[in-house]
Amino acid sequence: MDSSRKSRISRIGIVIIAAILVETLSIIQYQRVREMLEEELEIRSHLILDAMAQEIEHLLELSETTLSENLWDVKRSMVHPDSTFFAMRRMIDDNPLVVGGCLAFAPDYYPSKGRLFEPYASKKGDGTIEIQQIAGPDHDYTQNTEFLWVMEHKTPSWTDPYLYGPDSLSFTTYSYPILDDEGRVEAVCGLDVDLSWLGDTLNTHQPYPSSFGLLVTQEGSLVAGPSPSRTPPSEVKQVLSILEGSLPESANPDIFMRVTSLTKEPCWQLVEVNKTDEVFGRMRRMRHQQMLFFLLVLAILAFMINRYARNEKKLRLASEEQARIGGELAVAREIQLEMLPKSFPADIYGSLESAREVGGDLYDFYRRDGKLFFCIGDVSGKGVPAAMLMSVIHSLFRVLSQKTESPSPILKSLNEELCRGNNSNMFVTFFVGCLDLYTGKLHFANAGHDKPFLLEESATLLPTQANLPLGVFPDTEFEEQACVLSPGSTLFLYTDGLTEARNKAHELFGRTRVQDVLTACLTDKEMTPEALIHAIGDAAHRFVGDAPQSDDLTMMAIRFAPGDVIMEQLTLVNKMDEVARLTTFVKSFCEKLALDRNLASSLRLALEETVVNVISYAYPQGETGSIFVYADSDRKEVRFTIVDAGVAFDPTTTLLADTTLDVQNRPIGGLGILLTRKLMDSVSYCRKSNKNVLSLTKTIL
Amino acid sequence: MTTTIQETDTQIIAILSGELDTAVAQETEKALMPLLNSKGKDILIDCTELEYISSSGLRILLGILKQAKSVGSRVVLKNVNDVIHDVLNLTGFMSIFEFE
Repeated sequence: MDSSRKSRISRIGIVIIAAILVETLSIIQYQRVREMLEEELEIRSHLILDAMAQEIEHLLELSETTLSENLWDVKRSMVHPDSTFFAMRRMIDDNPLVVGGCLAFAPDYYPSKGRLFEPYASKKGDGTIEIQQIAGPDHDYTQNTEFLWVMEHKTPSWTDPYLYGPDSLSFTTYSYPILDDEGRVEAVCGLDVDLSWLGDTLNTHQPYPSSFGLLVTQEGSLVAGPSPSRTPPSEVKQVLSILEGSLPESANPDIFMRVTSLTKEPCWQLVEVNKTDEVFGRMRRMRHQQMLFFLLVLAILAFMINRYARNEKKLRLASEEQARIGGELAVAREIQLEMLPKSFPADIYGSLESAREVGGDLYDFYRRDGKLFFCIGDVSGKGVPAAMLMSVIHSLFRVLSQKTESPSPILKSLNEELCRGNNSNMFVTFFVGCLDLYTGKLHFANAGHDKPFLLEESATLLPTQANLPLGVFPDTEFEEQACVLSPGSTLFLYTDGLTEARNKAHELFGRTRVQDVLTACLTDKEMTPEALIHAIGDAAHRFVGDAPQSDDLTMMAIRFAPGDVIMEQLTLVNKMDEVARLTTFVKSFCEKLALDRNLASSLRLALEETVVNVISYAYPQGETGSIFVYADSDRKEVRFTIVDAGVAFDPTTTLLADTTLDVQNRPIGGLGILLTRKLMDSVSYCRKSNKNVLSLTKTIL
Repeated sequence: MTTTIQETDTQIIAILSGELDTAVAQETEKALMPLLNSKGKDILIDCTELEYISSSGLRILLGILKQAKSVGSRVVLKNVNDVIHDVLNLTGFMSIFEFE
């Protein structure tokens, strides 16, 4: 929990840092682009300015040319003052850019015209030219600085541009001194040149709709600017004020301006005014959009990383879980295999191959009282549920078969247990057998399992009643059957994993093939159960080939090979003096087996104590009853079986006498049973057909 | 199964010979009656010739021991063979009898 929160915080931190980085990058990019744009604007201003300078120079030259070309005409007209009007008219008519021309005579040049005389020709709006004399008390050109300057220096001069007229149009005036032969200034000829078109030219191709360009003199007076319809004059005025220095540069933050100067006369400055928003607004908006986009991508990325991290964690947990389950299954498999018999006597062999880690098949066998108890079973289904049920059945079989020698009640009890609370509707096919290893008598009962094969002269199916499987109906009866195996015969049991093994063509291995392999094995009379199982297993595997194993495969083979068996029988009545006969019987039996004195003595004592007990207590006082004593041995083990029809009594469950008490507290009785149980390897009791059957066994090898 | 009893001033000696099984237990118990009246003398049971003993025989020995203890006599088993030694061991009699 804590570490997951930590990692989430670190993920959020990474996202925030990434966002900051993106923002920083975007700002840097914006600044760079802005700088580039500004450079671009500057280059553009230079270009315009150069073009303008050329235009202006050209224009000025043109005007100068106009004047010099018409100078002879003017000079000639000066013979008569009135003819100068016409000379001026002709002059301005000669050049469309010249809107007016004046000829300011030196004072008192024409005595007839008074002190001041200045003929003036000007173009009207309709293109006609008006001529008039403009000197007078309200227009004393001798006060004009330009006039005075030219008079004094006797060289031509251009005035600074000025605004004039009702439309405040921009003009400049070229003043030219007309000298007499002695070099005195007779008059100053002035040509008014219209500069207002400069403003139009300047503002025709502005990069942005509200950008505008201004031409100003070095002193800051306006030469040309945009028309009032294009730009409000207040804006122009504001820019001029900023240039002049009477307004701070930050007076209007919405505009920014670049000033470029002409490097040669008249050294005017070009001011490019742009609206910040117009120039950089789009870029800024673009930047914001880009930022938004980046942030969105980042958010999606963060979300994806988060999801990925979470999924990865889930995946890791799942794989850990899987590994854990795998480990547990491996342990479960160990446990399950551990429960199966591990060591096989020469005459028994079993094998189990699970289709999965754990399986629903089972085989088991154990020897008790000279009898072999065995079973084979198959739980419907596979995997863990089947395995769990199988374990239960295995344990139950071990417990139940301790109490009886009859397969039928074992199946009945198993069935009742399985039907109790069997909600998963699983069922089990099961075969239980009990083989007397001395007599070859086989008792068996079947619960829906495949019939075993019996290998004697030929391989045939053991005639077996099918019955219902375990776990179907609680009141099912399982018929017990019996037969006697001939020495050397083999019982072969298997689960349907063998007969239903499939190859890639989905063909079944089948019972016939099993029978064929078994028949082939009969030719070798010495073949062990282990070799037999391997032969069949190999045949099945060859048949299946590469096809995956679909079901658990379990086989078990039991050979009845009694060898050199000694079997003796004695019948007694319940009288104490019969003990002498019993002694003779045991002694002779032990002699046949050539047992040493100590062992013979132990066997005699155990049997005597048991039989004395039966004589004393089995039958009611005064009632005569028989006691059957069987002594069997295969020279490896001795088995005594004592059968009586008396009252049920299980000596294996009584408490043993305490052998640690002091003399006075020692009970007189109870020592017989104690001795029997201590002297023999096993003492087992069962009640069978209203008889007490007590088996005593001891290994003698 | 034969039982011989010899009595001296200080002890009663019982010599058991043969197999003391359930079949002969009753008669042996009768033969050993003198041991139940030891009059304070110590009892020596010579088992040199005893080949076999069942729980009925052990019961007789226990009866003799209980009686002797009550009057302060000692009971000593002499020359017990392996078979009988085992039986005495299994029944815990080794700890209550004295051996020689």
